[in-house]
Amino acid sequence: MISLSTHIPIILIATPILVAALMILLRKQPGIQKVLSVAVSFVMLILSVILLSQVWSGGIQAYEVGEWGKYGIILVADLLSSGMVVLTSFVSFLSLIYSLDYIERKSLSASYYPLFSLLVAGLNGSFLTGDIFNLFVFFELLLLSSCGLVIANEQGGVTKSSDKMEATFKYLVLNMLSSIVMLIAVSSLYATTGTLNMADISVKLSAMSAAGTLPWYVFAIALMFVVVFGNKAAIFPLHYWLPDVHPTAPSPISAMLSGVLIKVGAYGMLRVFFLIFIDTLDIFKPVIMYLALATIVVGAISAVAQTDVKRLLAYSSVSQIGYVFLGISFGSIYGITAALVYLANHAVAKSMLFLTSGGIIHHAGTRDMRKMGGMVDSAPLMSLLFLVGAMSIAGMPPLGGFIAKLSLFDAGIGEQYYFAIGIALFFAIFTLFYMFRAMLLMFWGEKRDVEKYGEYSHHGTSLLMTLPIVVLALTVVAFGIYAEPLIALANATAHQILDPQPYIDAVLMRVVR
Amino acid sequence: MTTLITKTVTKICLPLVILFSISLLLAGHNNPGGGFIGGVMFASVIALTYVAFGLDYIKSFFNPDWGNWFGFGLLLAALTAFSAIAFSHNFFRSAVEFVHLPFFGEIELVSAGLFDIGVYFVVIGGLLSIFKNVGDDE
Repeated sequence: MISLSTHIPIILIATPILVAALMILLRKQPGIQKVLSVAVSFVMLILSVILLSQVWSGGIQAYEVGEWGKYGIILVADLLSSGMVVLTSFVSFLSLIYSLDYIERKSLSASYYPLFSLLVAGLNGSFLTGDIFNLFVFFELLLLSSCGLVIANEQGGVTKSSDKMEATFKYLVLNMLSSIVMLIAVSSLYATTGTLNMADISVKLSAMSAAGTLPWYVFAIALMFVVVFGNKAAIFPLHYWLPDVHPTAPSPISAMLSGVLIKVGAYGMLRVFFLIFIDTLDIFKPVIMYLALATIVVGAISAVAQTDVKRLLAYSSVSQIGYVFLGISFGSIYGITAALVYLANHAVAKSMLFLTSGGIIHHAGTRDMRKMGGMVDSAPLMSLLFLVGAMSIAGMPPLGGFIAKLSLFDAGIGEQYYFAIGIALFFAIFTLFYMFRAMLLMFWGEKRDVEKYGEYSHHGTSLLMTLPIVVLALTVVAFGIYAEPLIALANATAHQILDPQPYIDAVLMRVVR
Repeated sequence: MTTLITKTVTKICLPLVILFSISLLLAGHNNPGGGFIGGVMFASVIALTYVAFGLDYIKSFFNPDWGNWFGFGLLLAALTAFSAIAFSHNFFRSAVEFVHLPFFGEIELVSAGLFDIGVYFVVIGGLLSIFKNVGDDE
């Protein structure tokens, strides 16, 4: 029997789908649902780490689904995709544990677990697939399942149901539009090259480019992909849905959306542009760079004025994803390394902040920071954890965000993008400002207007809610103090991204049945 | 919508369309048809009876939990796909067997057919649970 380890890529995608089916059938037994979904999520985390270590030591893995030879769908696990899968599994495992106590019982047992499993399947699928149409299918899967999750109710019901509906409507409409654009782009690519396999497309396009017959509309297709991935990642002109969707979702889902889901856009940009559209990159690098700068500026300025804690974090996500795209737009090994380090740090720190804000909202009974204040006395642990996350996002030295920002700015200065780095650096100070403002409003001083808004509720955070946040906080600190492994991994990944030949060889040089 | 004509037509259509949807399901894989199309057809005729006779009347004697059909179908499809791993093949690899039966002649038995049946139930369950939830007044 072939060892199970070669099947890990498909197991990571198919197991959540199987679990989703079981969860639907087990709707009447919340106890079994809880244990089973957490156990499976833990196993997935272990499997994803095994996959990453296999790829690290043994090179890129290609997996033929259904053994259809050259017509079939290929799953490819290289360092980028397996690293992203580890990140997804880590954040989703912790969010799932957190949601056990946070989500209202009724929504939890009705549709929460199956949708969460499908979301994980969609994320893992879009990271692991080597087929561009399959990427589209997984985008749809994660869009629809995340829509269902945004509507799920948290305990206490802080967010009005009508707000959730409005946010979901915006999310659905804008993302459906971008799905249509993606479909057009994929079919035009198919019409140009006659294949959907990303490695094959890459070979054919570079052959055309070498012969000087690259059609002009390849640039148009590339532009469409900028729109698609920009919309997924909430890049400047397309970021309007995010500040509505991420705050109205229940906190563990906000953590998934901000932590992992918007990174799908960055992943797609790295995969598609550095594998398929290498020849158009000279034109699109400045485009991506200026869009990234605009995103940083708009996100940071909007975040300063927010009074809603989760909305502030959402705008901060917009601003921070701009830094990731800035690193991508440098296009050098160091730049991409910095972007990946930034991506991992932001994923961990921002999901931690969203989970912490869930605890704060649970305690305060409102999302409005003006009605809080003095919380350092009544919830000291939450304020400590919020401080860790906020300082990491702002880039203060002992934490992970510092390493990320340092390497990003160093890369930019090394490439002599002084103007871009100047803007990014200036708005990094904005980050510090709005994070401190939130800290002061929520934790410092006295509880504001006790007569008007009442005292804090006695809802503390339970152990199941605290534990995931503490684990994430320790990860943030570890990324800052002992950053070498992450940087080494990101560096190896960047080498792999910029040299797509091993990827192409792994996909195309297979024994065909 | 609940005129006598609609009700009579619905009564005639119901068995015919269900049988046709099953024949589409079985025709799939190599010919036009398959689980998705068959499932949509089945769901459409059940939706027609809901419209013609009223949701409450139908619910009084025939009220399955369509969500469970969805779950069952997804489970069947996923397990079929997984079973290839147990036979040390890649995921989704289909097994093919030709059987000779009296009357029917040569029949191609494909394990992908089980997957198609799963898809059939997923589509029925998904569409009808949406239809029923949206149609309910509560």
